Amino acid sequence: MKKRLLLAITSIALATGASGIVHAGKSDDTLNVAIDRELESIDNYYNTAREGIVISRMVWDALLYRDPATNEYLPNLATSYNWVDSKTLEFDLRKGVTFHNGEKFDADDVVYTLTYISNPENGAKPARNVNWWDSAEKLGDYKVRLNLTKEFPAALEFLSGPIVMYPNEYYAEVGPEGMAMKPVGTGPYAVTSVEPGKRYKFKKNDNYHASSPKGQASIGNIVIRTIAESNTQLAELFSGGVDWIWKVKPDQAQRISAQGQFTVKNASTMRIGYLNFDAMGRHSENPMNDVRVRRAIAHAIDRESIVNALVGGESIVVHSLCFPSQFGCTQDVPKYDYNPEKAKQLLAEAGYPNGFETPFLAYRNRDFAEAMINNLNAVGIKTNFEYLKYAAFRDKVQDGGSPFNFGTWGSYSINDVSAITSHFQSGGKDDYSKDAEVIKQLGIGDSSVDPQVREDAYKAALSRISDEVFMFPLWSYNTWYAFSKDVDFTPTSDEIPRFFTAKWN
Amino acid sequence: MIYYTLKRLGLALLVALTVSFISFGLLYLSSDPAIAMAGETASDADIEAIRKLYGFDRPILVQYLDWLQRALSGDLGKSYYFRTDVSALIGERLPTTMTLGVCAITFAIVLSVPLGVAAAIRPNSLIDRLALFLSVMGQALPSFWFALMLIVFLSVNLRLLPTSGSDTWLHFVMPTVVLGYYAAPAIMRLTRTGMLEVLSTDYIRTARAKGLRPWVVLFKHALRNAIIPVVSLAAVQFGFMLGGSIVVETIFALHGAGFLAWESITRNDLPTVQGLILVFSLFYIVLTFFADLLNAWLDPRIRIN
Amino acid sequence: MATSDSQTSAPNKGFDLLRRRVRGHQGMIIGSVIVVSVLLIALLAPLLAPHDPYQQDLLKRLVPPVWDSRGSWEHVLGTDHLGRDYLSRLIYGARISLLIGIGAALISGIIGTIMGVMAGYFGGRVDMIVTFMITVRLSMPVVLVALAVVAIVGGSLQVVIAVLGLLLWDRFAVVMRSSTLQIRSMDYVAAARAVGCSTSRVLMTEVMPNVVNNLIVITTIEIAHAIILEAALSFLGLGVQPPMPSWGLMVSEGKDMMLFEPWLITIPGVALFLLVLAINLMGDGVRDITAPENRN
Repeated sequence: MKKRLLLAITSIALATGASGIVHAGKSDDTLNVAIDRELESIDNYYNTAREGIVISRMVWDALLYRDPATNEYLPNLATSYNWVDSKTLEFDLRKGVTFHNGEKFDADDVVYTLTYISNPENGAKPARNVNWWDSAEKLGDYKVRLNLTKEFPAALEFLSGPIVMYPNEYYAEVGPEGMAMKPVGTGPYAVTSVEPGKRYKFKKNDNYHASSPKGQASIGNIVIRTIAESNTQLAELFSGGVDWIWKVKPDQAQRISAQGQFTVKNASTMRIGYLNFDAMGRHSENPMNDVRVRRAIAHAIDRESIVNALVGGESIVVHSLCFPSQFGCTQDVPKYDYNPEKAKQLLAEAGYPNGFETPFLAYRNRDFAEAMINNLNAVGIKTNFEYLKYAAFRDKVQDGGSPFNFGTWGSYSINDVSAITSHFQSGGKDDYSKDAEVIKQLGIGDSSVDPQVREDAYKAALSRISDEVFMFPLWSYNTWYAFSKDVDFTPTSDEIPRFFTAKWN
Repeated sequence: MIYYTLKRLGLALLVALTVSFISFGLLYLSSDPAIAMAGETASDADIEAIRKLYGFDRPILVQYLDWLQRALSGDLGKSYYFRTDVSALIGERLPTTMTLGVCAITFAIVLSVPLGVAAAIRPNSLIDRLALFLSVMGQALPSFWFALMLIVFLSVNLRLLPTSGSDTWLHFVMPTVVLGYYAAPAIMRLTRTGMLEVLSTDYIRTARAKGLRPWVVLFKHALRNAIIPVVSLAAVQFGFMLGGSIVVETIFALHGAGFLAWESITRNDLPTVQGLILVFSLFYIVLTFFADLLNAWLDPRIRIN
Repeated sequence: MATSDSQTSAPNKGFDLLRRRVRGHQGMIIGSVIVVSVLLIALLAPLLAPHDPYQQDLLKRLVPPVWDSRGSWEHVLGTDHLGRDYLSRLIYGARISLLIGIGAALISGIIGTIMGVMAGYFGGRVDMIVTFMITVRLSMPVVLVALAVVAIVGGSLQVVIAVLGLLLWDRFAVVMRSSTLQIRSMDYVAAARAVGCSTSRVLMTEVMPNVVNNLIVITTIEIAHAIILEAALSFLGLGVQPPMPSWGLMVSEGKDMMLFEPWLITIPGVALFLLVLAINLMGDGVRDITAPENRN
């Protein structure tokens, strides 16, 4: 009798608690997604995480939309645009679009959004996305004019992605704190629940405007959870608690693929890895000041092997400080082959026949760093390796505290050289060479609107960077995706998964 | 009794203040608060402006006293990362950690005390050796390994429990076991020691001689005295758990105060870390305080001392 | 001395005593054998390791151990994610783990003993201050201290040993303090003082020799503790820096492959476990032999 009672109690308990274990997925039209970090805010202008960009595309729209396949700029919230002159853009806006809270979309929203975020006091991040225009004017209920501060060729790139439109009445009332708790946009998915940093729930927007280049969403509900531990993400995938994960480590992805129970896909990203050297002596007098030493290191690293064995996937070796698809990026620059003998020669010429010791800083991909350290050891260079968290790494580098470091940059998926090369080599905080010629050429490229002028200037800058090895580009990064066989999903090479294109199988 | 209480309280508060100040100092030494607050894309001018505006250029002691003054009136500042009130942030995350901690210490006690008693009654027997072996295992087994193994067996293979998250009570079962077994060895050993000592005393022999039943002797007389140091230890262990729950909270995606603490430290989110340390210290004080009171009730001799 | 609650007639008691001593000895023997073996392995590492533990081979990554169908005798325990021989890393790792354990225990032992003995012997204000410092140390979050130190000074083997040394002195202090308190009230100490011995002489010749037994026991516990703590710090990235082969680091490096190639964690994990178990057994044994009445 007691035993039966115990059994009954256990079953009831399991049943009531079981709502936590019943796995969603195709059966209740809910895609469960796991990400690995906490978002500081879901408000598009107050977070800098990749996941924030992903969510932004789901919940909000921009005036234009860059087609990930053709890189064309298609009309979204704007039906057409016109360059009145090199510093003035005019837009005709789409009629009949409503925000998730019923507010109508019109010129007031555009003007309010653009004015609010370009005001430095409001602290929208990152600053470089929002600091290139002076003012926005309303020319009519559905017509807007944007006055740029200077000639800014990447304007369309920004207006087709990160610059999304907010509802003016709502945002004026609740501000970033309100938007972070209850986001409102025009996008294909509406946010139904926000547990900051923990979990976000989304529902398909049935009123999404039919002429959007993003298309209509198929999956009805999406839940995005933060699970920091990679093994836990895998366990959730295996037990059905989660249907879709990304940034799977290559060794893990291979084995999951081999098991055959889940779909595993790989796509390139715009992120590239690089080595940064103290060419100008900003940190101190050290071997990196000498171009021969830098060239030696360029010859010492076996990038091909590291890419094949460790980075894997769709990654390739890159020769210029940019990702090949970015506008202005060319691989037609001085190249360095893997040649440890030549490296030793150059080191001897520079006065280090027996090598030397140097600090070496990194914040991610410890194993890639270790493989490079191995390469360096082979030519006599010993490293004092320090592996820091990103915040500490960034601070130390930008403070001038690191003569030699390994970093990566994703360009915020902006398909333009100005988003990476100019960031690192225009005399800013990460610039350890501050070369006058490079700075000049990048300046020309960044400010001209003539594509040919831009390409030539960028090529000149990239060639000089390569020749002097101010920074040494390593490889492109890739991302592994693993998801349930019920899901039909195709990754894009800009590292922005578009859930509104995903379907059930 | 009042004097005793006040003295303990005063001492505890002093400890909390010292810990808080040392942590403050360590945090300021290990990262520049102006940069942390300005964010990654700020220019040098922005950072300098923030430094002046928030007084980060003042001596550390002055800054600490300033923070303390505001903290005492309930204002723990705003998180550099989330830009929301630290007190709200902590208030949101703390209940999960508390729940986990209480369950874990209960589990540890329920597991270790009977085991310790059993081992003490039959020293050098199989159960004694087993208890000792389990206690070493508890110290030498990496908790993340144990946690992931449990997930694999109970969640992925047998589908008995959910893998991660904090929605239902079932979500807390595995985390409780993992966090609890970590505190169990010390409690078990101490119970065993205490029982061994007590069982050999005169008054226990007298109680047996009087013909009291073994269970009565064991629990009403022996355990009541042996448990005294265990109560203090349990309180201390609970305090450790609050800090030691980082691994468990990370692996089981519990998003409690422990996870927040670790993430905040690595993000250089100083106000949040400071707030958390203060909260943890206060809890620790309250815990040991109540443990002392409980002990004083169990053993009147302590009160008089 | 513990008594069984039933049969404690005289002949059985003697037999019990003998049995107990033998059983205690057994544990100590096993423990000592293991510890000495690990020591020898550490000392003879260059002779025993089949490969260079730092040598990478990117074409032979994650090769399983020899008992797996994909394994081979070339790498008996397989290779890690950079193609380094696991057996060699395990052997050299013994050095690092022992160095850390002994180094940290030495530093914390010196600090803790000085503080504990002072507190126990002088009492009064000194005792209050030391007790206060112990409580503060117990309330400090270990992770924060480790992270701050690493951020300020950078990570390395010496830093890890120093950090552990600065964090583990509390148990030394507590035990030394209570032992000293006990000793202080003994007649021979009073006698020495009466005769006019200086404080330091009394400490050296009367107090220390009598607390040494407890000191040894605590030292063994803290060596084990330091070794385990290093593993936990490695998990958080605050321990020994790669490519140095500490067992703790090997466990944390293998974590991502846990669900697919569990031997990456199991092998160093078992090594850690055996070493810690052995040290504990040794410590128990030493205590049994020197002062059986303190058995806990």
